[in-house]
Amino acid sequence: MMSEPICLLEAVNLALARALEDDPEVILFGEDIGRNGGVFRATDGLAQRFGAHRVADTPLAENMIAGTAVGMATQGMRPVAEIQFMGFIFPALEQLICHAARLRHRTRGRLSCPMVLRAPYGGGIHAPEHHSESTEALLAHIPGLRVLIPSSPARAYGLLLGAIRSDDPVIFLEPKRIYRAGRTRVEDNGQALPIDRCFTLREGADLTLIGYGAMIPECLAAAELLAERGIDCEVIDVAALNPIDYDTLLASVSKTGRAVIVHEAPGKGGVGADISALLGEQLWGRLRAPVIRVTGLDTVMPYYRNEQHYLPGVSDILDAVDKSLEAGRDEILQATGSG
Amino acid sequence: MRYFKLPDLGEGLPEAEILEWNVKEGDEVKVDQILLSVETAKAIIEVPSPQDGTIAHLFGSPGDTIHTGEPLLEFAGESEQDTGTVVGELKQQATADNGGGEQFFIGASPSSRQYRDRQVSPAARALARRLDIDLGTVPQRDGRVTAQEVELAAERAQRRGPFEPLRGVRKQMARTLAAAWEQVVAVTLHDDADIEHWPAGTDITLRLIDSLAYACRHEPALNAWFDGEHLAIRRHRQLDLGVAVDTEQGLFVPVLRNVGERSAEDLRAGLDRLRKDVRRRSIPPAEMLGATLTLSNFGMFGGRYATPTVVPPQVAILGAGRIRTEAVVFEGVIQARRRLPLSLTFDHRAATGAEAAHFMQLVVTRLQETTGSDPAT
Amino acid sequence: MRETVFKTEIGLTRYLGVDGEPLGELPTWSHEPEPLTGYYRWMVLARQFDQKAIALQRTGQMGTYASSLGAEAIDVVTGHLMTRDDVLVPYYRDHALQMIRGTPMRDILLYWGGDERGNAGPAMGRDLPNAIPIGTQTLHAAGVAAALKYRHQPHAVVCLCGDGATSKGDFAETLNLAGVWHLPLVMIVNNNQWAISVPRHLQCAAPTLAQKAVAAGIPAEQVDGNDPIALHEVIEHALSRARAGKGPSLVEALSYRLSDHTTADDAGRYRTPEQLREAWQRDPLKRLRQYLYNRGYWDESRERQCLDDAQQQVQRAVDEYLSTPPEPVESLFDYLYAERPEQLREQVEMARVRGGGA
Repeated sequence: MMSEPICLLEAVNLALARALEDDPEVILFGEDIGRNGGVFRATDGLAQRFGAHRVADTPLAENMIAGTAVGMATQGMRPVAEIQFMGFIFPALEQLICHAARLRHRTRGRLSCPMVLRAPYGGGIHAPEHHSESTEALLAHIPGLRVLIPSSPARAYGLLLGAIRSDDPVIFLEPKRIYRAGRTRVEDNGQALPIDRCFTLREGADLTLIGYGAMIPECLAAAELLAERGIDCEVIDVAALNPIDYDTLLASVSKTGRAVIVHEAPGKGGVGADISALLGEQLWGRLRAPVIRVTGLDTVMPYYRNEQHYLPGVSDILDAVDKSLEAGRDEILQATGSG
Repeated sequence: MRYFKLPDLGEGLPEAEILEWNVKEGDEVKVDQILLSVETAKAIIEVPSPQDGTIAHLFGSPGDTIHTGEPLLEFAGESEQDTGTVVGELKQQATADNGGGEQFFIGASPSSRQYRDRQVSPAARALARRLDIDLGTVPQRDGRVTAQEVELAAERAQRRGPFEPLRGVRKQMARTLAAAWEQVVAVTLHDDADIEHWPAGTDITLRLIDSLAYACRHEPALNAWFDGEHLAIRRHRQLDLGVAVDTEQGLFVPVLRNVGERSAEDLRAGLDRLRKDVRRRSIPPAEMLGATLTLSNFGMFGGRYATPTVVPPQVAILGAGRIRTEAVVFEGVIQARRRLPLSLTFDHRAATGAEAAHFMQLVVTRLQETTGSDPAT
Repeated sequence: MRETVFKTEIGLTRYLGVDGEPLGELPTWSHEPEPLTGYYRWMVLARQFDQKAIALQRTGQMGTYASSLGAEAIDVVTGHLMTRDDVLVPYYRDHALQMIRGTPMRDILLYWGGDERGNAGPAMGRDLPNAIPIGTQTLHAAGVAAALKYRHQPHAVVCLCGDGATSKGDFAETLNLAGVWHLPLVMIVNNNQWAISVPRHLQCAAPTLAQKAVAAGIPAEQVDGNDPIALHEVIEHALSRARAGKGPSLVEALSYRLSDHTTADDAGRYRTPEQLREAWQRDPLKRLRQYLYNRGYWDESRERQCLDDAQQQVQRAVDEYLSTPPEPVESLFDYLYAERPEQLREQVEMARVRGGGA
């Protein structure tokens, strides 16, 4: 049904409701998600509609939430568990890395782990300590796990449905800063988006902006400003952080010759480093500038007073684009006849 | 709508392979008209058009895999429709309260797609080096050369034995003819000369040489050299005829000089001497240069018509096939008569069809005379 | 003033003394030759397999292996009392349980021989594979039980863990969830007195491990883990409860780890020969054999025959194992996701080429 425009959070709710409606083997559980509807209201109304046995409150134990989801999934159920904040996902890492990611592999496909673990992540909402973490790189590094990060209501809806229907374990990280940032019309048509592709949000020829999560609105805003300067940017939402759709990124940067990667998480060892290395390896002769990353600082996520120093924004992206344009390789390429 | 995206063809199937387009760019289509057929994991499905319109652009060729939601084609002259479903062209910000539907491409933008690398995988390169396989001889699969293809190529090479490099005359022949093929715009005329009346023991090669000299005298257009790069032509007064001689070592084309001015006996002697020298490999290279036209009497070995190759800078070559007795209509009655098949290839950059046809006519007429005169006449 | 708001007690069930003599009145079923004779045969096979596995490791034909010496009764009785539809969530010493439920011995050897196909055999059904990170499997068992309950299936999940695992957070979280969600879970703690080198009294200050269940509000029992009759009684009761929707229970089986922790361990470094000798007195095979002899259900010639049969079965499995070649390198990539991602195609090729081809 397409009536009112909805925000990303409501799109999550819509997708969860659709999944609960369509598949009786889908079950949600987590802390405060039942009667309370989740601390961000992501599961608002669902327990009332589908029953407490399908939208269940758990005791307070993140490791237990993940481990129970693993166990349920081995029996073919499709549990969609919630960790209240990414900052509290760490007790669950053992279950995710040692078990969820490995079950299919270590049983040669006899068992698999079709679970989804949802968690709000990222900073920018002036939250208490430990509530603003962006450590998706830890999970994106693990073979066997899928990691998805939506950046808009429609993609949240489609990707979450794709995640729930996937037979692989998926970590679904919701950028809470843009939970309510923009409203668009999303049709509740039950259509999933592919969970192994990037999305090109803006077509352009001069430079590729690559980002995900809450950085996408920043990238799009930067692209608008650059367009006024006559610089035509292509904006790509990575969306699937593991495995990454490198083909789309390679195709775009082959065309433009320039890439700027933007993410909130610290640069060191981040997803941007992986993408940058790959682009460099494969497009060496075609790059007009080094691949530049715009990232959070390599520090502990600060308490919110200093948040704005940490989080990258539009001006940082513009600086990076300038740096890319000034790299000067165009002259060299032209002089050698390969430009 | 501007972009028609691959719909969910049922049961959440994520992708389909394009089998065949029923329309092409520029076509006007009507709603429900079948646009293409695709194959999913389950079935072959014909996809109808969602609307009337003109096809501006097709995305994807037969054999390509398209994901559900990816654009199949673009309709001309449409603006974005507020469908709220995915994929299209867009420049809007997700944070804007636009209340409209979102539009984005799954995967690469249309202008990026062509840049997807067609390449040799690192593994294929490493394996090719190790197995000593020329990557140029390995076929591509989906635009990529994979290690598996390299392995197969190595197996094939082992089974069939290695390639022996060409040497000497054969190598030269391969080079020369490859270059000729690339440059010349070759057109071949075929005809037959009625030689029923030729006395026994007629020297076929001499008659052919004589007829060529005759034809060149009356239609000089084909006795010329053509410079393809500068688009210039040099007509020769003298006919220096290259005569193809086949030996065990390969094909040689020694040149009989100034054919038009020599007597039959002289030509015969000259031809014999050239042949002997060729066979003994004592012919100086100079004797093989500078032909202004070539004769290939392959009929000695067999064959009827051919499309012999013109070797630049020459503009023509005459091929003669094996003399055969055929049933033909002669003076209103079917008779068995001896015929000499002829194939004249000319470079159409340098001569017209009329010139070539005239030349051929002259050759045939001369051959059909009862006795060969001296070419000098 | 202060009043007592809650009291409980933990009971220990035993039927046979160390020499196989009844300690009191035995349950009626135990007067018959079966199932006890069948238990004994399986325990003999389990021990033969175990000895052979250690020998394979010591001769370089298998990797590190965790022996089940001393735990045979727990596994064999549990294996027999579980149905096909019950689900097993083992730790890493439950080879006999897996065998009884249909996993070929060759597969068990393959697993410890470093081959994932040992976890993949179809006989395993929906049982979980061996669990290596300690105690993590208990939460999986809770999840499995939650699935059974959600689907209204009258089956039980049996989860096994050691005394060390009971210190882990996962264990407590499992019991807690099982209690509050009323899950059909039977948690069997094989308290073999050792967590590698850490003895039981350094693992936990409580007098029993069973009483950890009290904190989760679920019933708990201790049982003599070397006594097949006692094990049968207690575990059968727990399984019936779970299958009937009456909720979870914890069973602490008291046994002794007669072997090293694994073949990479040397228990002589932290326990004395006297301790070990004393523990051998309580060996479950010895006890059951004696009981069956006394009853006239067993004799020398049956013993010899049983050992011979067991040895032959084990040897056949070993021969199969040793003649099974390793999987090709593609197997590393084939089971990461439901479908192998395109992104990996370069790596698969490289791996094949690096390994010298397919």
